[in-house]
Amino acid sequence: MHRNRKLMLGAGLLAFSLSEAVHSADLKSVIEMPDASKILKKDRLAPPKKYTMPKECITTDPLAIARGEYIFHNLNGKKAKKEPPKGLTKFVMVNGKKKPKQYGNCVACHNIEGAKGGGNVGPDLTHYKQYFIDTGVRSYAYVYQQIADPRVHNPNTHMTVNLTTGLFTPREICDIASYVVSEKK
Amino acid sequence: MKKIMSLLAASTLTLSLAVASEQFSMSDADRALYQEMLENNPADIFVEEGSELFDEYVTEEALAKFLGVDVDNLPQVIATFPRYIPQVDEVLGLDQVLQAVMHLNGHKPFKLKSAEMFEMLAYAKSLANDEPIAIDIHANKKMEEAYKLGEQLFMTKRGKRGLSCNSCHSKEVVGLILRTQPLPDLGYVNAGGTWPAYRMTKSSLRTLQRRFQGCMKNALLAVLPIGSKEMVALEVYVTNLAKEQKKSIAIPGLKR
Ligand code: HEC
Ligand code: HEC
Repeated sequence: MHRNRKLMLGAGLLAFSLSEAVHSADLKSVIEMPDASKILKKDRLAPPKKYTMPKECITTDPLAIARGEYIFHNLNGKKAKKEPPKGLTKFVMVNGKKKPKQYGNCVACHNIEGAKGGGNVGPDLTHYKQYFIDTGVRSYAYVYQQIADPRVHNPNTHMTVNLTTGLFTPREICDIASYVVSEKK
Repeated sequence: MKKIMSLLAASTLTLSLAVASEQFSMSDADRALYQEMLENNPADIFVEEGSELFDEYVTEEALAKFLGVDVDNLPQVIATFPRYIPQVDEVLGLDQVLQAVMHLNGHKPFKLKSAEMFEMLAYAKSLANDEPIAIDIHANKKMEEAYKLGEQLFMTKRGKRGLSCNSCHSKEVVGLILRTQPLPDLGYVNAGGTWPAYRMTKSSLRTLQRRFQGCMKNALLAVLPIGSKEMVALEVYVTNLAKEQKKSIAIPGLKR
């Protein structure tokens, strides 16, 4: 009898905590708490990477410079108004789907010759050749690295990473760099 | 000579910062419209609709009971969100608590990203209007963890351009111009206390987590789902920035 009562009490307590647990599990199943960890894992950024500038990277080829200019001043193929120069498209296939090609949107942070609504988060790149290259302050290799992965120069940089992320090809980085260091009218 | 040129280059860098900041993101016409809307926020209609939904599906009594407080104390408690909810042993946003209460009231909860939830959240949060933001990131271990996770997510560079929230919202860049947009100090503009807000450029009511998604999308960071532990954590972090600036709740906000 005594023992029985103890048992019943135990069962009662168990039932109580069970109902609490069910209650909480129940609530957890109606409250949306989606898992974002997989998305974040896939979106991870590789560590800073040092690059060797490819041979014949910096060029005075007007088409390459035009492509670099186009990438510098536009956000993506959907927003861009003018037709891109030869060798550059507005759309690309990603996993069998047609997607707007992403460009550099460097103008969001940098002023430069002919910039419309240029930002000032980064330094003004106007007269870059005259002030930085001709004076020897910067080398072509430095500019290439800065655009490819600026974290090598400044681990806390606020600038975008453009090659390590796979957003551009080395040739495209060369086109952009060629534009930045080119003589402008 | 080389040295002089390098000095010159360095000073053009600093100079350019001052010169380019003379741009404005709003035209005079936009500014006039903004003034007009400030007096007559289009979001008021959405909040009104939210109030009807709230009275039908939630009620102040049921919400207060769920939170274990008196109805009279609801405003102060709402001002502490996101907060730890013992029933599920998690830190939740107010919208998620509204889902729980809808369920307990015998209704199927609105989806977090539905227009109905945005409206109801706006109304529920507006109950705390003028209350100082009172999030307590030291309330317990879970809150501390949520804050740490939020801070870490805010600082972590990711995505196709290798940017973090901090790339554009750190103290160093606040006030600088990103393609005609002055970069806002999230604490100073009271992001934590002014969303849900009406966004003029989107002509709709948006929530804070929905705003986060906008920045993620624009900057090519993978977009995280509303209500995920990570999004709630970001909301904790951003809301605490507003608290540090001693801001109060002011719903609905009006944004460019
Ligand atoms: C989100 C802001 C941002 C974007 C976008 C951005 N930059 Fe920068 N950039 C910076 C900042 C800030 C610096 C200053 C160096 C630093 O802090 O790392 C910089 C520095 C540079 C420099 C070095 C200037 C020097 O000191 O010689 C070059 C060149 C440059 N950027 C080119 C580009 C190009 C090309 C793009 C686009 C592909 C681009 N930037 C996109 C912010 C940005
Ligand atoms: C590439 C730059 C950039 C990045 C990266 C970025 N933001 Fe923003 N953010 C902006 C700009 C510019 C605005 C202001 C836009 C406007 O005025 O419409 C803004 C506005 C906001 C606002 C609204 C502020 C208000 O008025 O209440 C919030 C909240 C916000 N950002 C949070 C975030 C979070 C969280 C992240 C990271 C997940 C992030 N941002 C990443 C540029 C950025």
